[in-house]
Amino acid sequence: MMKVTRSTTAPAPALGAPKTRKAKTTGAQRRAVFLFVAPFGVLFLAFYAVPIIFAVVQSLLTVERKGTFGPPRQVFGGFVQYQQVFQNTEFWESVGRVLLFGAVQVPVMLGLALLFALLLDSPLLRGKKFFRLAFFAPYAVPGVIAAIMWGFLYSPSLSPFDAVTSEVNFLSAELVLWAIANIVTWVYVGYNMLIIYSSLLAIPTEIYEAARLDGASNLQIAWRIKIPLVVPAIILTGVFSIIGTLQLLAEPQTLRSFSSAISSTFTPNLAVYTTASVPNYNLAAAFSVVLALATFVLSFVFLKATQRKVSQ
Amino acid sequence: MSAATATAAKSASAPGAANPRGPRHSIMSRSAAMLIMGVFTLYFLTPIWWLLVSSTKTGGQITGTAPLWFTLESVPTFLANLGNLFTYSDGVFGRWLLNSALYAGLGALLGTVIAAMCGYALAKYEFRGREAIFNIVLSGVLVPATALALPLFLIFSEVKLTNTLWAVFLPSLVSPFGVYLARIYAAASVPTELLEAARLDGSSEVRTFFTVSTRLMAPALVTIFLFQFVAIWNNFFLPLIMLRDQVLFPVTLGLYAWNSQISQIPELRVLVIVGALVSILPLIGTFLALQRFWSSGLGAGSVK
Amino acid sequence: MRAHYGKATAAFAIVSALALAGCSGGGGASETEASATSCEPASGPVELTFTTWVPGMDKVVDLWNKENENIKVKVQTGPNGNSGTYQNFFNQLQAGNAPDVGQIEYDALPNFRVQDGLENIAACEGVADAQDKFVDWTWGQVTFGEEGAVYAVPQDSGPMAMFYRADLFKEAGIEVPTTWDEYAAAAEQIKARGSYITNFPRSDVNWFAGNVWQAGGQWFSSANDQWEVNLTGDESAKVANYWQDLLGKGQVSTLPSFSDEWNASFNTGQQWTWVSAVWGASTLASGAPDTAGKWAVAPMPQWEDGGKAAGNWGGSSTAVLKGSKHPYEASKFALWLNTDPEALALANELGGLYPAAKSATDLDAFAGGVDYFGGQKIYEVFAEASSNVDPNFTWGPTMTQTYTDVSDGFGKAAGGNGTLLDALENGEKKTIDSLKSQSIPVKE
Repeated sequence: MMKVTRSTTAPAPALGAPKTRKAKTTGAQRRAVFLFVAPFGVLFLAFYAVPIIFAVVQSLLTVERKGTFGPPRQVFGGFVQYQQVFQNTEFWESVGRVLLFGAVQVPVMLGLALLFALLLDSPLLRGKKFFRLAFFAPYAVPGVIAAIMWGFLYSPSLSPFDAVTSEVNFLSAELVLWAIANIVTWVYVGYNMLIIYSSLLAIPTEIYEAARLDGASNLQIAWRIKIPLVVPAIILTGVFSIIGTLQLLAEPQTLRSFSSAISSTFTPNLAVYTTASVPNYNLAAAFSVVLALATFVLSFVFLKATQRKVSQ
Repeated sequence: MSAATATAAKSASAPGAANPRGPRHSIMSRSAAMLIMGVFTLYFLTPIWWLLVSSTKTGGQITGTAPLWFTLESVPTFLANLGNLFTYSDGVFGRWLLNSALYAGLGALLGTVIAAMCGYALAKYEFRGREAIFNIVLSGVLVPATALALPLFLIFSEVKLTNTLWAVFLPSLVSPFGVYLARIYAAASVPTELLEAARLDGSSEVRTFFTVSTRLMAPALVTIFLFQFVAIWNNFFLPLIMLRDQVLFPVTLGLYAWNSQISQIPELRVLVIVGALVSILPLIGTFLALQRFWSSGLGAGSVK
Repeated sequence: MRAHYGKATAAFAIVSALALAGCSGGGGASETEASATSCEPASGPVELTFTTWVPGMDKVVDLWNKENENIKVKVQTGPNGNSGTYQNFFNQLQAGNAPDVGQIEYDALPNFRVQDGLENIAACEGVADAQDKFVDWTWGQVTFGEEGAVYAVPQDSGPMAMFYRADLFKEAGIEVPTTWDEYAAAAEQIKARGSYITNFPRSDVNWFAGNVWQAGGQWFSSANDQWEVNLTGDESAKVANYWQDLLGKGQVSTLPSFSDEWNASFNTGQQWTWVSAVWGASTLASGAPDTAGKWAVAPMPQWEDGGKAAGNWGGSSTAVLKGSKHPYEASKFALWLNTDPEALALANELGGLYPAAKSATDLDAFAGGVDYFGGQKIYEVFAEASSNVDPNFTWGPTMTQTYTDVSDGFGKAAGGNGTLLDALENGEKKTIDSLKSQSIPVKE
């Protein structure tokens, strides 16, 4: 038993049992499979597949009305909404903004997480358990509440660090994006650190001993052995970070109470929400579809690109 | 017996006396490492410390007194703030906490069972369409939940179910990532022989799953539960767009609503701060207590 | 086992039902006519929901609930209209579960009207007759000038006047300006003394609109079943160029309105005047307590010598939202809320509202002198201003968006990039685009 379960964390799984013994599938088993899969299948259809189809349908409709106060009526409009999406400069500015955000914040966050994980895994540190807990604690703070807390900390008049905030306005138009980046980093570094750290722990120590016999230093071991071996973990965290970045909503929306520099279309999701509230649901649906597609493609490409690199 | 204890044991042995990971290290690099970690400890903990200290102050004291230290009347002020928090607007804050517990707690619990069953079937049974289902689930992982919030809202509008518990609860049950993890864990931790033995004993498939397999998958299930719990707890768009009635809000949306009214009702500032503290302390506690499940489970997700 | 299959089938049926509902489209847009429908009382007790952001409104509603056993009103509070409550309203209208009664500012009413979000309550008991009880221009705002239509009950208004530091003007020997020319001259003198005549509120586009309103301009009009957008007419350009000039000379500050720094600059005598609405009196009193007794109120500076025109900034109505099952009770409540003397007095005391009801002038709260203004009977000035507000000013159907677009440009202009007029031109273009994207007929 021990051997089997250990393999969940070991990079080279040595399964105790042959994995696919072709047993004849009986009727009872088929029924079992149905029972096991059906609940998820139904929910997935209802709350994943149908909404996606529905969004696509909505995005192909457009509104018609007559006169200054004529009631709205939905008719088929083809790709009218998508034309709007591509002409909408605010939306693409918001996409550019979160891409810039992601290009800076994701590497910084993952870099820090990797650094902390390596330090935790190195013999240099005392009180590892404490650091692990301290760094992970912010992950328990939901985005909305983290944004409220940091909003107070950034505020020129309420901040305990008013010596700093009265000089540098973190909530100004120039800095507010990075103020948000800081909040996201604060929440998620510890979590990503744990992911990387746990895959470092899964590396058999024999590998290091061999390297040491060859005269490798700690730094070299970290660089040549540890980092390459945790790349899959970093890819996983990278994908989730990219998805998270494109979805930014709670933090900027909450910070709007603290800063007038966050426009109603600051991030793509805010643009969706704002457009839906105009209300222009058809255009908002088109935004949603484009956004979901972009996220899907981006994380898929990232996954494929990095996987190829790793396997080479 | 579990992956979690295996890794935990390993990490405990790492800094031990007979350190297998290398010779002694210079004081320089030791201090550098401690310095980096020390500075970042301040970075991670100061905001939470500030929240704790501020919740023991009155509205005026938040700006008027030393920001990172307590006042002489901290304890009574804190109690008074707590009292206000739970009585303001007919004690709606208590409702919010309950709602969050319901959405995230019960939602994650049910969602985990559902995901585990599906993942288990995908891992341990041969059937037609298995790969297709798994691929659909995988693409589901990459579709952001927030992109679904608006269409879900429009659909729930059609069936007149917005502004109900169900509007937030039901969509939260679906976790493609949970299925993905469950499949990996089930493949690794449930030996096929065991299932065959159970079949020979005449145990039904469903019974075997609930009595034998779930026990073997237990650490993995905790991980899936935690993942989904966080995802639901953090989901802001869905309740924001679905719910109108304050009584149905989860605590995050409730605090957001209060926070956006501070300019009109300044006394809410204190309540927002105390409320934020009250809502995260139990979470931090639980998270830290269950931390070993995070590490072990997450590692597995990335290795495969 | 069979039972399980049954359940699964049922579940699939629900899913397909959902899918069908989804594909049928429709989007919940009803095609009711604009005409007033009948408005009958319900047979039994009724519970209404009322969404507002005026502080203390729950206490006012308590008064109503004490006297009306059969029409209970539940208050829900939200953020300021444009900061979230309107977004919620639109989503709830789509979902068919909007509150029965909601607070909507005059400038947002056309937006709700275009989206078919307002009940026409003209047929409800007492509503049509209430016209005489309200200041004329506010009534024009809630009827859009249509015959046989009332879409909301006026709640409060924001007639504008000029708050000024009587002590500083006297000390410096500067005449209190009565025209905009004098105001500009005073700005120069005050700047020479190291202070500002006022702060230009770059994000309060509705303040700017209030000034255009005073100057006799119109941003929106509708004729021949289509909208006409004109943010850059002669009057708008005149106002824009006027403030652009003061901005260019650095004679006005550009602090974010209502921020702590903004309060501080009033509290420390940095600002000598504030051309603002009646509700600004309580804003000043709470934001600049150290200057109590030193302020006074005069009519807005005029474009023409001896003129009397006034603008308006802000003000809300109480609307019955589409889909309410009880328009009769809802409009009864809305009328009470905005005409009952006790309710008006309490709403003023707790929420600082200046009622749109004509009877307001009889209330004690508006009759006496105000200590903060050295005992001046300031509400007489505002009552006079209120009667001089042009009743025909029309708001557009997408004001939230127009405000956002223009304030982006104003922010740039305040920072030295482009001019206020540029911002208005850009705002006009974007507003037209936005109308077109919603298929709202607009003249190009």
